[in-house]
Amino acid sequence: MTALKASGLKKVFPGVVALDCVDLELHGGTVHALIGANGAGKSTLIKILTGYYPSYEGQIEINGQVVAIHKPMDAFHYGIEVVHQEVDITLIPYLSVAENLLIEKLATPESGFFVRKTELYRQAKESLENLQLDIDVRRQVADLSLPQKQLLVIARAISRNASFLILDEPTASLSLSDVERLFAIIRDLRQKGVAFLYVSHRLAEIQEIADEVTILRGGRQVAHFKRENFEISKAVEAMLGSPPGELFPPREPVSERKLVMEVRNLGQTARLKDINFQVFQGEVLGITGLTGAGKTELLNILAGSQRADRGEILLNGKITRFRLPKDAIRRGIFLIPEDRRNLGLLVENTIRTNITLPFTRDFSRMGFIEPLRERQRVLQIMDRLRLVPRNPEMPAKNLSGGNQQKVVIGKWLLKESKIILFDEATQGIDVGAKREVYAIARELSKSSGVIFSSSDIDEVLGLADRVLVLHDGQIVGEFDASHVDRQQVMELATGASVKQETQIGAQEQ
Amino acid sequence: MTFDDSSSTSKSAELNSVKPATLNPSSVLSNFLLRYGLILTLLLVMLFFSFRTQAFATVDNLLDILRAVSILTIVALGVTFSVVVNGFDVSVGAVTGLAVILSSALMVIWKVPWYFAVLICLSVGALIGWLNSFLIIRLRIPDLLATLGMLYLVQGLQMSITKGDAVYKGMTNPWSPTRAIADGAIHPDFLRLGQGFVLSSESFRGIPIPVLIMLGVALITFVFLELSRFGRIFYAVGGNIEAARLAGIDVDKIRTIAYVISGVLATTGGLVLAARIGSGAVKAGDPYLLDGVAATYFGFAVLNARRANVFGTVLGAIFVGVMLNGLTMMNIPWYIQDVIKGLVLIISLGLSYYTTRR
Repeated sequence: MTALKASGLKKVFPGVVALDCVDLELHGGTVHALIGANGAGKSTLIKILTGYYPSYEGQIEINGQVVAIHKPMDAFHYGIEVVHQEVDITLIPYLSVAENLLIEKLATPESGFFVRKTELYRQAKESLENLQLDIDVRRQVADLSLPQKQLLVIARAISRNASFLILDEPTASLSLSDVERLFAIIRDLRQKGVAFLYVSHRLAEIQEIADEVTILRGGRQVAHFKRENFEISKAVEAMLGSPPGELFPPREPVSERKLVMEVRNLGQTARLKDINFQVFQGEVLGITGLTGAGKTELLNILAGSQRADRGEILLNGKITRFRLPKDAIRRGIFLIPEDRRNLGLLVENTIRTNITLPFTRDFSRMGFIEPLRERQRVLQIMDRLRLVPRNPEMPAKNLSGGNQQKVVIGKWLLKESKIILFDEATQGIDVGAKREVYAIARELSKSSGVIFSSSDIDEVLGLADRVLVLHDGQIVGEFDASHVDRQQVMELATGASVKQETQIGAQEQ
Repeated sequence: MTFDDSSSTSKSAELNSVKPATLNPSSVLSNFLLRYGLILTLLLVMLFFSFRTQAFATVDNLLDILRAVSILTIVALGVTFSVVVNGFDVSVGAVTGLAVILSSALMVIWKVPWYFAVLICLSVGALIGWLNSFLIIRLRIPDLLATLGMLYLVQGLQMSITKGDAVYKGMTNPWSPTRAIADGAIHPDFLRLGQGFVLSSESFRGIPIPVLIMLGVALITFVFLELSRFGRIFYAVGGNIEAARLAGIDVDKIRTIAYVISGVLATTGGLVLAARIGSGAVKAGDPYLLDGVAATYFGFAVLNARRANVFGTVLGAIFVGVMLNGLTMMNIPWYIQDVIKGLVLIISLGLSYYTTRR
């Protein structure tokens, strides 16, 4: 069996020790999970193993031989492949699935001048079928959904005969059924002797798939578990460095719920059908369902960013129509969009510019920005969100995922909201930051309506007071979250046909 | 500007980024070059010309240089607006040319008072800018292609106004069935826009009016883009249009305004040009497209701004002007001048962008 043994890995950047004497072993036929808060050193470790850094301390052995990995080609040579979370950067959108899959072969001189399409499609189809993936190899990659792209990148890594496969948050954008499919693939390859390094923030998944778990904090290895003695609570404690406390803020008994919004018979061609619900001030309304169930579309309609073609929205009892997001914002309906890097942030700009963007008018006199007043207000917001470092001039791109999310939330704290919509707000952020986001949502619910939408069923059940379950564009269930059957929500979300699959997953846990 | 000074500013700028590795001297130097390299190059080039030619470093000559680049600067600032919102307006050269012909034709052929001619031209410029944005936003044609189409359209219109002739005093009226002489004239007040001086005295020739117009435009656009909240919004639209839209910005409106400003500024440049040459030459605006684009992108590298900005664009235009003026004074043949212009642009930009890479 193949084995990779890294010992004493250390990487120092000027002023920061990113990784400090970390040992890691990967064995063929096992899945080794790597977890840690943002900034714990996970990506530094991955970058060392994949030859991103020309220099570092420590040594790497493969099958007992000390090897030198100092450039990406070295890693490739030893069969180390990585599948990054952001798949778009490694795929070429206007080439077909087959061309992307076999891009290396196309780039070698032996393949000749002309592309032999039939042969190309045949080979591509074969390697996809090996993984039981049903994607048309002739389609342009640009037309694929995010989960399909993710599975394609994994398929490509496997087709290069990787012996060590590093998956960096592979499930961040996958729906439940896609996660199941991915796990089936992982189990299959594990049986064939592939060694996995699996990086994820989702501890429940790790419990399901990992044989070994290593936990990093502040660049150091702080805990190591075998499958038998892994416990989520212990892992969280190790990640945070302190007892976790409650992940979710306590539900507070509400003296009076005030109706702020009512949605009647809302529909959008083929995406949403007959949506009816009410939003109250004083409670968190959770919405859950698989990716693609219509949650994002629904929230975007409420925020004026997409149009509904049927039904109506009543705000304080009056029928309201939004032409643009700005119309909704003027009425106090604020959206924290999914995919914060692309939809929520100006990554090149500072925290200050990002936070005040929707309300520059409030910091201006006769059209001129008043820098001092702006800075002061931003600092207030940053303190309220406990956003450190306390530097409003920091560019958003240099922040961790959790801090970026705080910036996105921060801009909506400048003004009193009527309803705040959270769309997949905890995607790709660490446990500590998640807990803070939950606390903010709970706090906001005291003064306004809060809708918290997520495909992570557990977090919706843990946080919300009331839960709507969406499946295929329809509301299939509404529950009081304090006494709800998780299994039932799961079944509703996945639809009856997928029912059996979920049970198999549950049994293996 | 002393060395110490700049190293401390670049250090404080560096504090905001991830790498705190500012203390070693080589990175202080490279940071310095990154920020001030192009300004330094410009000063060096000017110094070089001052030593090599007698007439270069005189107030009159420096004002001449500014006058020579005034039209380019105004047009380039229009391009800058389109680039700020992440668009690209290549119709500016044609719009400049249209303003030249249209304004002089209005005065010479149709005897329109000069101020009405100016107003009509500016409205036409704004209309073309609006049409550009309509093609881009409503019909979803990519910016470059939409404005390229508009370039041909406007160029054709420009020549159709006079059936392909230049406009000059005493020309035959192309629209007259009897081939009569057009008896209008370009008003002297209009000509002052391109040829006049203010603050003239015995010892001082005065400040050219085109330079004043350029400075006015540069000042207004600078204040608008750098200090006002609208500038912030323009840059936000250029930086991430989806995020800007979700933050409540009417992005279509902003893009429309940017293209209208681009059209109006190109027209302003054309009016000054018409006043400068005193007649309506065909296709007079063409060179301003490439020079304007060059000045705008040159501006990206000035002070390491990494985005289109007013100060950079003005400096870029001046750079082009200094090169032309100095080389002419050194009697470098005109056909070599473009070669040198290209080389200096490539080398200075190359140095600047090369050091940007980590």
